[in-house]
Amino acid sequence: MSQARASRAGLKLGIDVGGTNTDAVVMAGDTVIASAKRLTTREVGEGVMGVVAAVLESAGVRPGDLSHVMVGTTQFINAFVQRRDLQPVAALRISLPKTDGIPPMVAWPADLIEAVGERHYLIGGGSFYDGKEYAPLDIEAVRKAAQDIARSDVRSIAITSNFAPVRPDIEIEAAKIVASVLPDADITLSSEVGGLGLIDRENAALINASLRELSRQVVSSLKQAFARIGVTAPIYLSQNDGTLVSTDYATRFPIVTCSAGPTNSLRGAAFLTKMQDAIVIDIGGTTSDFGFLVRGFPRETATPHHIGGVRTNFRMPDVLSVALGGGTLVRFQGDGPDAAPRLGPDSVGYQLGERALVFGGSELTTTDIAVRAGQCDIGDRERVRHIDERTTQAVLDAIHRRIEDAIDQMKTNSKPVPVVLVGGGHVLISRELRGVSQVHRPQHAEVANAVGAAIALVSGRVDKIYDFAALGREAALAQARREARESALAAGAEPDSIEVVDVVELPMTHMKTGAVQVKVRAVGRLVDAA
Amino acid sequence: MQIIETDQDIQDMARGAVFLGSGGGGDPYVGELYLRRQRAEGRHARVVKAAELPDDAFVVSIAGVGAPTVLVEHLVSTTTLLRLLEASEKFYGRKIDALISAEIGGANSMFPLALGARAGIPVIDGDGMGRAFPHLEMTTFSVYGCPVCPSLLMDDSGNVVQVYATSDRTAEDIVRATCASLGSMIYGAFYPMSGKQAKALAVHDTISHTLEIGRRIRKARESQTDPIGDLLDFLDQPAEHRHARRLFNGRIVDVRHETREGWHWGEALINSGRGEEPEFSIEIQNEYLVARHHGRTVTVVPDLIAVVDAESAEPLTAEMLSYGQRVVVIGYSAAPIMRRPESLKVFGPRMFGINEDFLGVEQLLPAHEHSAP
Repeated sequence: MSQARASRAGLKLGIDVGGTNTDAVVMAGDTVIASAKRLTTREVGEGVMGVVAAVLESAGVRPGDLSHVMVGTTQFINAFVQRRDLQPVAALRISLPKTDGIPPMVAWPADLIEAVGERHYLIGGGSFYDGKEYAPLDIEAVRKAAQDIARSDVRSIAITSNFAPVRPDIEIEAAKIVASVLPDADITLSSEVGGLGLIDRENAALINASLRELSRQVVSSLKQAFARIGVTAPIYLSQNDGTLVSTDYATRFPIVTCSAGPTNSLRGAAFLTKMQDAIVIDIGGTTSDFGFLVRGFPRETATPHHIGGVRTNFRMPDVLSVALGGGTLVRFQGDGPDAAPRLGPDSVGYQLGERALVFGGSELTTTDIAVRAGQCDIGDRERVRHIDERTTQAVLDAIHRRIEDAIDQMKTNSKPVPVVLVGGGHVLISRELRGVSQVHRPQHAEVANAVGAAIALVSGRVDKIYDFAALGREAALAQARREARESALAAGAEPDSIEVVDVVELPMTHMKTGAVQVKVRAVGRLVDAA
Repeated sequence: MQIIETDQDIQDMARGAVFLGSGGGGDPYVGELYLRRQRAEGRHARVVKAAELPDDAFVVSIAGVGAPTVLVEHLVSTTTLLRLLEASEKFYGRKIDALISAEIGGANSMFPLALGARAGIPVIDGDGMGRAFPHLEMTTFSVYGCPVCPSLLMDDSGNVVQVYATSDRTAEDIVRATCASLGSMIYGAFYPMSGKQAKALAVHDTISHTLEIGRRIRKARESQTDPIGDLLDFLDQPAEHRHARRLFNGRIVDVRHETREGWHWGEALINSGRGEEPEFSIEIQNEYLVARHHGRTVTVVPDLIAVVDAESAEPLTAEMLSYGQRVVVIGYSAAPIMRRPESLKVFGPRMFGINEDFLGVEQLLPAHEHSAP
């Protein structure tokens, strides 16, 4: 960035709406000026207004001074997993004469089917791996399906066609027909949300379709909240890979925000410590989430994964979740001084302030042990003085061992790795950790997720099969890079800041020589508001 | 006769099929979903022992042929499979009494079961290799007197190819070329055989074996006992000519992929974390073919090599391997019929370009000596 641009960078507000807490930071350039934390409210906007008012006051900044607002939220994935606020969907699969043996939504959990229904249509059309059609799109069948949907209460449709990443135009054409019959329906195209693998990509599109209405409500609630406070800056939402999307994009693709929370924690931790490669541990009230930073970005899962019982393949950070946090209940197996401590898996969560010993409650939590050991000073220390030293150390042993085991699982070789501790529960860690070169506890660790939101970049991606034999490897890769850059530009990136950060080539096994799946990601800085 | 009744059984079988696939066979998820779909519609697969069939029964193998990366898009069509069944009966001039899998490793363990469930035809508890292999001539059927052809190939668009070939190797080449010309995913009827031949030539009980292996892994996981130790105890039964060894326990430090002459070559390197030099390697040619510890061969094809997740014992195909995974490598003896001299001539190490003679895993690693902790 040029110096002129840097000085115009302005004040950024980063917010993370979590399951329990809503955190906020105000940043001027690369510096955190102020932070605040409040409980998340059922109607998201309220909690946001509270935390934003608090952080602006703390920063001494007026709402109108903010240049950008970035929001990361786990609302959507929580809603999907809990089957809350989902809308009924219809699946339109363009694939006949292929795939009729496994229609959409096979093996979906019963409670999900209950929430969104199982309306589906199989339509003629689709592409081979090389982009040639094996059957023409059955336009009449698409129209009939749309008319049938129109007679139902479904207004959110997921369109998936065979090998769509190679031939997205087939889905686009079908979407036009559906839109002509149902102009107000929400349409999700599988090629826009998932990679190769029909079932996994179709599921990603269906998950997205079920969240459209909720995403509009959440975005609207956020916008209203900001307007009421007097914030006029453009609002962005974080997506799974740690980059930003506009609110319009987020209402069309809520699925891309699903794991923004953990991603932002990881990126925030990287930023606060200036580390590019490290394991980040976010110790919360109930769980510790472990992520792996590679060149400043979270390592992503390699294989298909399950979300809410549904197998899918949209990109998620590789996060290992361990049931150990500040509110984890401590019990003992056996009696006497040699009783072995058992940590959780249950936790008092956000009820720490009522149920933990140090706060006058009657339950022993890891926080109580941390206070007894002098690792943090909250609540009333007298209430835990009775816990003997041996017991305290035994529990600390167990805590550190659990953390060390998880670190070991995340590592890719035996070399000691730096660890960044974030989250309120970081006070549990007081000793050197095995396999770790250095432990970093940055300032503002408890709001690393909001920082991650604030520093986010914009990105563009490409995931297609290219014919290396026909194009030549260099030309094919150059084309893929170009398309990724264009995609980043369309997302709002500053043209001269765009960089290609990842290029993956996967030769297609068993296919004619030369077919290669290429995935490219490009990122860039957000174009500054004037 | 055994009836596959629950989704749990189907999931266990898919897990076991990946284990026996020795790295290949493709993601069985497609086959698993297909079989679950049949069950959800009230159609259950029936599995019979070959011995239960009359000698003059007519048995055919139904298999998918193509690229795993295309299978996950094109899935499977019931219309096509039923058409294939009908066309096969006309082609062979006989009603089909039972189906048999050509390849128990991977997705092809599931397709005959699903088609059998749909069409009401029993499936023999067995297959042609007890694992996965890339070529049609690499089956016990082919080696011991039941040729691949006459075969019938079909795609979903109504294209049908009848194949008559002078050798099974040539049949493989013709089928592969047909597959490539039709979008890299076709289904076919192969190895028409009698009940008597099925009894003599099949690797028996392999469907039951996938169920047992998959169930064993899951149960050990659920009860929080060591799933890998438990699995090894189960597999290693020298009295039944079954030998299993824990070959290595470590982390994948490199996975190289290369396509040469249309086949996927690869190598996975694994370290136990005690040094910089990779200690353990697996050479991959669609399947895991040879495992070496510090350069010394510890298991080689046709014996099976399984790579499982170190925590969950979940078996992994070659496509699923990636940098940083903690895995345990297991060597498992191939069925005795697979180790005979005639078999080794077709799918022994030298047929895959590995310049060594076959030695069984129990010879390479006698019982009292394990490869590594």
